[in-house]
Amino acid sequence: MTRPPVGGGPGRAAAGRATPRWRRLAYPRGLTALFGRLGMPLFWAALIFFILVPCVSSLALALSPRLFDQGSQWFTLTYLRQAFTGATAVAIGNSLWVSSAAAVLGLAIGFPIAWLAGRTTLPGRRFVPGAMWLVLLLPSWLPALGWERLVQPDGVMYRAGLDWPWVTHAIMGPFGVVFLLGLRSVPFTYLAITAALAGLGQEFEDAARVHGASRSATLRLIWPMLAPAIWSALAIGFAESISDFGVAATLAYNSNFTLATYQLFAAIGNFPPSFPLASAMGILLVAAVAIPLALQARALRGRSYQFLSGRNRQVIRRQLSRGAAITAAAGVSLFYVIALGVPGFGAVSASLLGDYGGSFTLTLVNYRALLHQAGQIGPLERSLIYATIVSFVTVIGGFVAAWLLSQRRARTRSTRALDFLLLAAIALPSVVFAAGYIFAYNLPFWSRIGVNLYQTTLLLLIAYAAASLPTNARVLVGAVSQLQSSLKDAARTHGASALTAWARAVLPVVSRPIVMAWLLTFCAVFLELPISQLLYAPGSPPASIAIEDNLSNYHFGVGMAQAVLAVGIALAAVLLVLGAYRLLAPAGWRRIGGATRG
Amino acid sequence: MKRTSRRHKLLLIPGIISAGAIALAGCSSASSGASGSSSPSAKSSAKTTLVIYSAQGYDHAAAAAFQKATGIPVKLDDNSTGPLLTQIEASRNNPSWGLLWVDGATAFAGLDQQGLLLKGFEPKASWNSLGTQSLPSDKSYTPTGVTLMAALVYNKSKVKNPPASWQDLLQSQWKGAVGMNDPSQSGPTYPFIAGMMNYLGGVSAGESYYSKLKANGLIIHPTNGPTLQALTSGQIKLALVQSSAGIGAVLGDKSLTVKYLDPVTLLPSAIGIDAKAPPAEQAEAKKFIEWVLSPAGQHVMQTGDPTGDSLYYPVLQGTSPLPALPSLASVKTQTINPYTWGPREATINTWFDSNIVR
Repeated sequence: MTRPPVGGGPGRAAAGRATPRWRRLAYPRGLTALFGRLGMPLFWAALIFFILVPCVSSLALALSPRLFDQGSQWFTLTYLRQAFTGATAVAIGNSLWVSSAAAVLGLAIGFPIAWLAGRTTLPGRRFVPGAMWLVLLLPSWLPALGWERLVQPDGVMYRAGLDWPWVTHAIMGPFGVVFLLGLRSVPFTYLAITAALAGLGQEFEDAARVHGASRSATLRLIWPMLAPAIWSALAIGFAESISDFGVAATLAYNSNFTLATYQLFAAIGNFPPSFPLASAMGILLVAAVAIPLALQARALRGRSYQFLSGRNRQVIRRQLSRGAAITAAAGVSLFYVIALGVPGFGAVSASLLGDYGGSFTLTLVNYRALLHQAGQIGPLERSLIYATIVSFVTVIGGFVAAWLLSQRRARTRSTRALDFLLLAAIALPSVVFAAGYIFAYNLPFWSRIGVNLYQTTLLLLIAYAAASLPTNARVLVGAVSQLQSSLKDAARTHGASALTAWARAVLPVVSRPIVMAWLLTFCAVFLELPISQLLYAPGSPPASIAIEDNLSNYHFGVGMAQAVLAVGIALAAVLLVLGAYRLLAPAGWRRIGGATRG
Repeated sequence: MKRTSRRHKLLLIPGIISAGAIALAGCSSASSGASGSSSPSAKSSAKTTLVIYSAQGYDHAAAAAFQKATGIPVKLDDNSTGPLLTQIEASRNNPSWGLLWVDGATAFAGLDQQGLLLKGFEPKASWNSLGTQSLPSDKSYTPTGVTLMAALVYNKSKVKNPPASWQDLLQSQWKGAVGMNDPSQSGPTYPFIAGMMNYLGGVSAGESYYSKLKANGLIIHPTNGPTLQALTSGQIKLALVQSSAGIGAVLGDKSLTVKYLDPVTLLPSAIGIDAKAPPAEQAEAKKFIEWVLSPAGQHVMQTGDPTGDSLYYPVLQGTSPLPALPSLASVKTQTINPYTWGPREATINTWFDSNIVR
């Protein structure tokens, strides 16, 4: 079936000939056409301004420090060479193998959980998505601190009489770093696979089984259909791990195991900071992302994964036997105990101790201080508003980007560039990305034309959105690439405008992944630290700045109480959104990708 | 047909970019006006907004009191020293700060040597000996108080015989029991490292000392808070932290106590003025410094963060330290030349990071 041209079909063209110009402009279809014409250029302009320019600004520094008044050379390779030597080279090597291992571990744990929760009668499966969101919304430093608190010398484990130094050595080292980053990658895998499974109707499994395929043969049939989601999960897992700072600055740092992001932070944190060296490391990290990108492109080249159509059938859940149900439930529970229980214990116990953890006497003094001291609650409210606004903006941009990325038949240089740009932006450490915003948007040129964006809330929100969009697009691309164009074409054939066709034929099918992408952005922005640190508007600190301020000074307990409260607020927001979707979304929207008990 | 359509779309991009720039200009002007920022239009009004970059615990109280006392609008960027210095360095070709108020003369010396500080301003003040020792010769920054680096903090019920000298820390008795901060994350820690090198006779002697300390199991945590937390949780027995942090911890946990080993390095809290700020903002920054050094300003500094940065030693005659502060009468203090040690900061921190932290 041929697709009608974007922004207008035969019906519209006829209407255009018959209607005066002023009426066409006022008519909603005219607005749709205008949006269709302006939308893509506007989208590309936003990408250029808010992702490409800051990325290029921060990366160009390594080659031309003079460009931004950070050195005397207009062109030099000194900093790139420096990045390949000594401790910096070791840190980059560590990051590469650790991130690869973490992405694989994330897939190994996340895929079975997604399948069990989405396709079987796993006991307690209703709680899996909510708990997975909780894993996702925890900033990565929180589980790291929780584990440290448990296993460090004289930590809780030893005080409880468990003299297990081998556990301390295992966790406080490379294994522990891979383990934590792997756990961090699980939600990304889960989201990507769940979104893809949701669109994979029962008819594919039925067809295989009808033709006599065994369970393993059926799995072999389905596995390639999930390839976009699997590759997306691996790519996100790798990119998120290699750009993670929370684990690098806590567990890895305290284990004397240096990762590239910490080394990069040290280059900027030194005085005077070496932005060019940080930039050189940023270039190498971005180059590292070429690995999953190349693998992903090679695996998906020339194939179509569009199997989500209006004819997909609802999935029938596989009935687990009693033994299998117990084993599966135990495995999934163990994951949550490790991913949530340990950091939860660490954070909550630290917030309930009033004297830096010297004794085990529990007190609410930190929570009382949080409620009564000025300036402690305001940052949480502020971040709530920031995260809500940014999530809406990012989901729109992320969907457009995912749609462009999924157009494999019309894959052009621009979409390939988009693909690389988005993955590169994921790999670029946030602190370098934020510094790029200062370099790009604090140039004297902007002040001369009256644009003073640096240290305004507007620039902070733009940076949040730009930093979240790549991950968002990656999460959505799995679901969007499954969409058959026949869905929209059918609506257009029946006279719907482009916008109506999208809203009535496409939105219902992808509503669930969109809600997930919204929540993902919300959680990422709510406790975001590195961008906030460099770009927040003076006098308006977001939650992460306030928590960091308390933790690094003399108010450790108050900081932990603030972190616990922040996670509680984020969890409440997640539950509210998921509950609202369940209550307000039409039953048909929820049924697509849903499952019934078999 | 396709070509035309594509060209039209391409032609639209510069137009949209221009429109975007104008829209951004509108947004930023609107937000500037609302928040009273230091945009050019705001600066032309009667009173320019003074932009304060500060890492002091009492800065919110000080900014509010100053604004109330003088009517000068203030915008405060309260953050840790590291991010503030990063912001200043990243925005050096178009700075947006008016004054910087952080701990550590070496950072100010570094900024001064890059030409980023206004020189030659000395407020009218009656300095005591700590103040006189902390004044730079080119008057590019002004001390507002002094803390010490490093104070030895320990649990007096667990440590009956604390070390009496810096060399004692190398004894096997303290193997794996000493903790300090990482200079790449904790602003006040570099002056401590430089101070030890100064006291021991040079960089190599200092490197040798820290290498021995590491061989004796030195444990590094990022900043004062985590190092003190390691002390109270029992991971270490002796914490080397900033005096205000140590005394603040003692106020919250009576089993802890603070001791100074000879010599201890002075760590001035200081204010520097942006050399590129508009003259009107520089004039307001000078007024702010004079107000901070007035009795009203000192009162706010001593009450604004009673368990943290308010625990400083005053640099003015007639202002007494808070009662919780141990007397300095029997303590030998030293001042390091920030113009000698400041330029070495990046090199020494990198060495420390590679050889001691790892």
